[in-house]
Amino acid sequence: MAVALVVMIGVSIYISMNTAYYNLDHSRDVFYRENHFADYYFHVVRAPYQVIKRIEALSGVDMVTGRVQMDVPLMRENADRGTIRLTGYHLPLDKEVNRIQLLSGRMFDKDPSGGRIEVLTDPQFAAANRLNPGDSLVVAAQGREVTLTVTGTAGGPEFIYPMKDAASLMPEPESFGIIMAPLNQVQQVLGYPGQVNQVLITVAPGYDEEKVAEQVEKILEPYGNLASYPRKDQLSHAMLDAELEGLQKSASSLPAVFLVLAAVIQYVMLGRMIKTQRREIGILKALGFDRRRIVMHYAGYSMMITLLGAVLGIIFGIMLSSVFSKAYAIFFNLPQEIGGLNVKAIFYGLIFSLAAGAAAGLGASRGILSLNPAESMRSEPPRVSGRIGLERWTWLWRKLDNYWRMSIRTVWRNGWRSFFTMVGVMFAAGMLIIAFFADDSMDYMLTQHFAFEKSYDYLIRFTEPVKEYEILNISRLEGVVKSEPLLEVPVRVSFGVREEDDLLLGMNPGTTLKTVFNEDGDLLAIPQDGVLMNDMTAKKLGVKVGDQVTIETRMQSGVSQETSLKVLGINHQMIGSGSYVSLKQANQVLRESRIVTAVMLKVDPGKAADIEKELNRMTGVSSIQSRQRELEGFEKQMGYMIYFVVIMVSFAVILGFAIVYNSSVIGFSERQRELALLKMMGFSDREVGGLLLRETLLQSIPGMLLGLPFGRMMSQWWVAAISTEAFTFPVVVYPRTYIVSAIFGVLFVLVAHWFASRGIRHIEPTELLKNND
Amino acid sequence: MGNIMDLPAMESKNQTLMRLENVSRNFVMGEVIVEALRDVTLEINAGEILAILGPSGSGKSTLLNIVGGMDRPSTGRVIYEGEDLTRVSDDLLGRFRRHEVGFVFQFYNLIPDLTAWENVEITAELVESPSSVAKVLEEVGLADRAYHFPSQLSGGEQQRVSIARAMVKNPRLLLCDEPTGALDHQTGSMVLSLLANVSRSLGSAVVIVTHNTVIGDMADRVIRMRSGKVAEIITNPDPLPPERISW
Repeated sequence: MAVALVVMIGVSIYISMNTAYYNLDHSRDVFYRENHFADYYFHVVRAPYQVIKRIEALSGVDMVTGRVQMDVPLMRENADRGTIRLTGYHLPLDKEVNRIQLLSGRMFDKDPSGGRIEVLTDPQFAAANRLNPGDSLVVAAQGREVTLTVTGTAGGPEFIYPMKDAASLMPEPESFGIIMAPLNQVQQVLGYPGQVNQVLITVAPGYDEEKVAEQVEKILEPYGNLASYPRKDQLSHAMLDAELEGLQKSASSLPAVFLVLAAVIQYVMLGRMIKTQRREIGILKALGFDRRRIVMHYAGYSMMITLLGAVLGIIFGIMLSSVFSKAYAIFFNLPQEIGGLNVKAIFYGLIFSLAAGAAAGLGASRGILSLNPAESMRSEPPRVSGRIGLERWTWLWRKLDNYWRMSIRTVWRNGWRSFFTMVGVMFAAGMLIIAFFADDSMDYMLTQHFAFEKSYDYLIRFTEPVKEYEILNISRLEGVVKSEPLLEVPVRVSFGVREEDDLLLGMNPGTTLKTVFNEDGDLLAIPQDGVLMNDMTAKKLGVKVGDQVTIETRMQSGVSQETSLKVLGINHQMIGSGSYVSLKQANQVLRESRIVTAVMLKVDPGKAADIEKELNRMTGVSSIQSRQRELEGFEKQMGYMIYFVVIMVSFAVILGFAIVYNSSVIGFSERQRELALLKMMGFSDREVGGLLLRETLLQSIPGMLLGLPFGRMMSQWWVAAISTEAFTFPVVVYPRTYIVSAIFGVLFVLVAHWFASRGIRHIEPTELLKNND
Repeated sequence: MGNIMDLPAMESKNQTLMRLENVSRNFVMGEVIVEALRDVTLEINAGEILAILGPSGSGKSTLLNIVGGMDRPSTGRVIYEGEDLTRVSDDLLGRFRRHEVGFVFQFYNLIPDLTAWENVEITAELVESPSSVAKVLEEVGLADRAYHFPSQLSGGEQQRVSIARAMVKNPRLLLCDEPTGALDHQTGSMVLSLLANVSRSLGSAVVIVTHNTVIGDMADRVIRMRSGKVAEIITNPDPLPPERISW
């Protein structure tokens, strides 16, 4: 039954993960196709709508859409600031690139009565903020408040994973949402009459995407090219892609571990069973039964166990894939139901497990069948024993009692079986580390980010750059303990032929509310001149310390400026990105003087609520980011990880239990005569059990100890598999995790041993007095 | 062989160690009930050599199992030092075997992963006052083979280790199931001499189960079994020394 459980886990993981992968991949592909997901994106300062016609005329362009999209502050009664991404859509939607699909309510009206602005929201934002059709939202745009009326919810291919920016680790639906409205009204609200600030294209089949993009950039150049990037860099798509890649890798490797281990256990057990039945096999051969029939008989045992495990695995796998589907539905905003059976996965899961079982059965039967009947019918030759290497260390060997000597020699003599048990326990212990490490890593990241990298309480962003002295209005609010200015400049960084988009962050040297570290955790001082480049950007560009890079500014307004800066350091951030310069340097890059785009505040906790209220009244404030709320949001999202932990721990415990149980049972059955002798001699059941326990521990403890660093390696492999250019996280395993994993490991070893050695009670010493012949 | 006269105090011969009263043992084999022992009454005395003879299926091994505390009768009593062993717990029965009984088997049954020395030593550790491991191995003539494993010893040597293992506990009952069955005549004779020495020096009751009737010549008493019953009990006033019997 234990072996069947291991097969069950392997098959269920294979089916559930492959089904989840297939469903997610399929849903995504259909959704992208039906909604004309853009191949390339272009952000400009502002361009006349007519420019779309010129782009449409390019032979490599299949479809093109021009639109206005901008993040604006959401004003709420409870003074909680949020941000919404206001996006304009040209009706009818049939020919729109990145068109949206209505999920609930009704489509917005282009010219509704009463001068209202009708909008749709993404469903997660609507759910988090309890929005229903007819409800209103108030945003701030161009220095005034604008009321929007919600008519329903919708989804689009670029909003499957609606994250605010690459710095966000997860969606924050309570404070960030997508608002979809008629283009004409969005143009009016944001001050883009007859203009667009984004162009999206799909590339015609057979055309080189990069070459087509170059042609479009040339057309858009006069209008201030801020950024251009292909689909693969679009944030939602990149996140979904990473998830699929990780899932695919796990779906093939993890089940293989279980199925191979199940096959090994069966091979060893069947081999033992055949040995104990060698006389019966000899008799069958003597009577004329051919080898094939005998092999099929024993292979049949293996196939039966495997079939049982596979059937259970199919049932459990289908259930588990439903759990995965629901989990994905929470994170991914796909209108299609992510669900359904993957018959191919079920079929292959069954085939692979049966193949492994058949291999085990056939492999185990080979040996005995090579013996002739006369030899088979003789008793098994007595076991040969001898000294082992460890006995050369006489100073140690003398300290051991006879129980340990017996156990050590037995384990050594059964080299392969002991090795497989050790490897099996190693995998089980490794899986325990994987179960727990993600929590440790996230905890480490959050501590580093929210305790060391960021020590401000609030980050206040302005709707447009302001003079530095203007932040005194905020600094002088009662309760503000400290304020430090910040200038954020979107830039394009070039090094040789490579270029990357980045964010330049200008702070005064000696700023304390935000600190910058390198990869080794050393504090980096903000230089007066030069730049501390972000490690992701540096890696993509191939930049090292000392290199000179070209910075081109990409602000929403103003002319683009170009500067050369020396890279004086490489900064590493747990969450977020950005390259750091001094405030003076950032102003120089912009050819400006003493302007800022944000301010960081440290406040008296007792006055925080009042300060927020005051800030919310200021229309020049675009967003108020609270470090505490941000941390709480992360911690809430991390709560979902408990499902993953529970599942992985369960699998690890079952695997470990099955390995140790089967090894103990085999050891027990091989030593029955010896154990009967010991009982006959007067050893108690406890003493006999203690002997078997020593052997179990000798095989399991090394496996467990190796499993801890092995688990860390597996975690590193996993993180490498799911990391993307935009997102990665460190592998951190706290000492307590090793301790907890070791404790769990010891528990499953002891429980498995207890189950396996229950039979000691029933050993009959009288069996000993039966003759061998 | 060495002198074993300095082993612990002897029991006085003819003192009754164990008494079986109307002991029967039945086994259920599917729908058939097999009466392995039928109404057996006998005594086992300290210091005597008792041979139990009979053909296969006569109940010899079943009788030995019950005497050795490895099995319980279906009916009847087994009295050892005033205690009815049929009424004690499994734990107590285990302690009886641990402290009072030594076993010697036809096929030695040594622990293959322990050397000769270790096989004897592990048994010595079971009791509070064992004999010296070195001494008993010397007495059985295996002092120079003490660190060999069973697979490195001949059949006769293994049987001698088995006897040393039984002796080291200073058992009051030494039970032997076909101890010479797997040995040639010369080696078998050596083994029988050892068993006789144990009886004399330790005062142990040595019970030998065998189908080899010649061994009865060295015994103080012979019990003949037939179809689960004691057919006859013969007292041998002049038992032959083991060296003088041949088969």
